Amino acid sequence: MGMTITEKICARAAGVDRVRAGDMIDAEVDKLYIKDLRFSKAEDPKGLYGVFKEILKDMGIVKAWDPDKIIINFDEQPARSTRRAEGQERAKQFAGEHGATIYEGYQGGIGHNVMVEKGHVMPGEFIVGADSHSCTYGALACFATGIGFTETVGVLATGRIWLKVPPAIYVELAGKRPPWIWGKDIVLRIMAEMGSNGALNKTIEYGGSAVAEISIESRLSMCNMAVESLALNAVFPPDKRTIEYVKQVSNAPFIPVQSDADADYESRLHLDITEMEPFVAAPGVPSNGQPVHEFLGTKINQAFIGTCSNSRIEDLRVAARILKGKTVHPGVRMIVTPASYAAYFQAREEGLLQILEKSKALLTASECGICTRPSLATGEVCISSGNRNFPGRMGNRDAQIYLGSPATVAASAIAGEIVDAREFLPA
Amino acid sequence: MKRKFIGKVWKFGDCIDSGNIKGVMAGVDPEFHLKVKPGDLVVAGISFGMGSSAEDAPRSLRDAGIAAVLAESISNIYLRTLINLGLPAIECPGISTLVEEGEDIEVDLESGSVLNLISGASLAFPPFSDHTIAILDKGGLIPYLKSSLAGQEKSATLNS
Repeated sequence: MGMTITEKICARAAGVDRVRAGDMIDAEVDKLYIKDLRFSKAEDPKGLYGVFKEILKDMGIVKAWDPDKIIINFDEQPARSTRRAEGQERAKQFAGEHGATIYEGYQGGIGHNVMVEKGHVMPGEFIVGADSHSCTYGALACFATGIGFTETVGVLATGRIWLKVPPAIYVELAGKRPPWIWGKDIVLRIMAEMGSNGALNKTIEYGGSAVAEISIESRLSMCNMAVESLALNAVFPPDKRTIEYVKQVSNAPFIPVQSDADADYESRLHLDITEMEPFVAAPGVPSNGQPVHEFLGTKINQAFIGTCSNSRIEDLRVAARILKGKTVHPGVRMIVTPASYAAYFQAREEGLLQILEKSKALLTASECGICTRPSLATGEVCISSGNRNFPGRMGNRDAQIYLGSPATVAASAIAGEIVDAREFLPA
Repeated sequence: MKRKFIGKVWKFGDCIDSGNIKGVMAGVDPEFHLKVKPGDLVVAGISFGMGSSAEDAPRSLRDAGIAAVLAESISNIYLRTLINLGLPAIECPGISTLVEEGEDIEVDLESGSVLNLISGASLAFPPFSDHTIAILDKGGLIPYLKSSLAGQEKSATLNS
């Protein structure tokens, strides 16, 4: 019996020839991503560095495991609380004393996008991140999963992590991608089929003939949502697009890994995307997806393109294409928060920001923004390109969050209600 | 940590994300922190602890003295974090129909069983691995690392 991509990467990280789903492994980590928030005293009164320092003292060691493999990003700029500001200060102190790469200012943006754009994510690697959406990186054919604060301290000290090798669900994407369907539509449909805990502690492996047509940006968006199906990770096979992209952003060597033809999958899901309709998730959980026609006419107060899920250059291009020469509905706040400053500057160069400004969309700095900060009043309705629509996620618990692709968000912003973006796309 | 214990059950529904668990289940029941007593148990439906990895959510349950969390299914990060904080997190399909709120149950981590002391009904779950038990015994990952790495240092010294 062969192995899946995830099993192969886990075996290599554990230093063994082979592993099978369900095996408990002690794996060596290739990269550790940490968002600045973990350094603030939000979760522990001592903060990440404080707890880490204690461990160092007790263990009688002086340095973090491997500074070249630790990447920190400031996800909120400028800091909006003293606590966060002090956390960022401590992150810099940590980097000064132990070494680590820090992205801030115009080098930064939303951490998960920065990790990818700056070439820290390579095919075949075993990556953990101190944020639940670290699963995003699987788009580039690596193993990547989110870990908690305490585990992060453990990795800083030892470079290792305990893990149960996940069984795999093979999602075969067949057919031809219609031009108005993006990763978000596809993943919302898959999640609806799987159900809220449909991929619990499993890996979602994408494959099939349609994969070649799915852009890296869309793959990132799809892997980003893996944690919302409670998957441990999601992964795309390395192909021409992957290799081209990685070579653009890094000179580092890497070894791509493919699943064996006789790899063992716990279950399979087949989806032909040829006739797909745009998909939207109703408030509550991201697996509440249905074809957009089920939601037509739902009035909205806010339209948001942002988050580590969908605010990349592909998304900004789509939004600008739809909003060009149009104006956001007077009853709607439209907020656009680019994925990173790299995406922000690229969009400016392409004239996209000017189009968005003219349409009355409000542009913000690149950061997590209103995905993690309240912006919705009681009873308000938002359509978001983000990943979470839980009660209270973006403000009042009674506010409602619908999830959709950036095209659906942009078109709905013009109409003041949820619409089918295909009617708004220029021919 | 006790490997076998009895506790009173508080029941919650499906798909409660960590944002709503924060502050001792404050998003679901703002009064819960006043009702819960050390040694009590949280029983929930599917996808418990889904969403953000922010550790304030699991820590709030630990700090309230919850002895264990049992659910139909638990998000991977949330489950790992609870264990790394020294709090048993148990996936136990069928648990939400095995018990009613306020009933006492007995949990045995080593044999992997839950017994409803009122109805006498029981359920099995996969027993905890030695590694997980070792982490729980030490009270979490940090104390476990401290002791095991300090132990390694000592044996290295003895061998030299």
